[in-house]
Amino acid sequence: MKAIQQDLKRLEATDTQVLGVSMDSPFANKAFADQIGVTYPLLSDWGGDVTRKYGLYVEKYKAARRVNFLIGKDGKILEEQVDKDAIDPTRIVDTCERPKLKN
Amino acid sequence: MQKKVPKVLAAMLGVAMVVSGAAPARAQVKQTEAGMPKLGDMAPDFNMKYFDGSELKDVSLSQYRGKKNVVVAFFIFAFTGG
Repeated sequence: MKAIQQDLKRLEATDTQVLGVSMDSPFANKAFADQIGVTYPLLSDWGGDVTRKYGLYVEKYKAARRVNFLIGKDGKILEEQVDKDAIDPTRIVDTCERPKLKN
Repeated sequence: MQKKVPKVLAAMLGVAMVVSGAAPARAQVKQTEAGMPKLGDMAPDFNMKYFDGSELKDVSLSQYRGKKNVVVAFFIFAFTGG
């Protein structure tokens, strides 16, 4: 989540809103955001309904997988980064900065 | 007073009864629980809350439609890694 924070200005410059999501409470997520210096919202999927809807619920850990989605203005998924690949958001930032997405 | 049901009304009632037997809706499962949405799929809408330090705020994916791209970053647990 810190890596995305480091790229936040570049993402925002391309008309992109960043949202983190976990199954923690909103209050735990706020404390986590403050601790690591994240300024974008960390949403609470308490109960895991959204995590399940996205096919990311891992029964063994009772939690989500680490996945980034880039969703276009039309609501369609443009990029996905899964598990370890999701740690470095460079590919998503690059896609956002491609000229056709800047409109 | 003489009451007469107009023929037109009777005909309409008959038609209404026939039409009400509508075609069965087809069961559509676009997103199974096991699978992630793929590139090009519509991202499932959501509505979740976050705490901004003073109050809980609602965020939905659909509020950005036509306005902004959205990065949705699922993480496993707060306070684990970065």
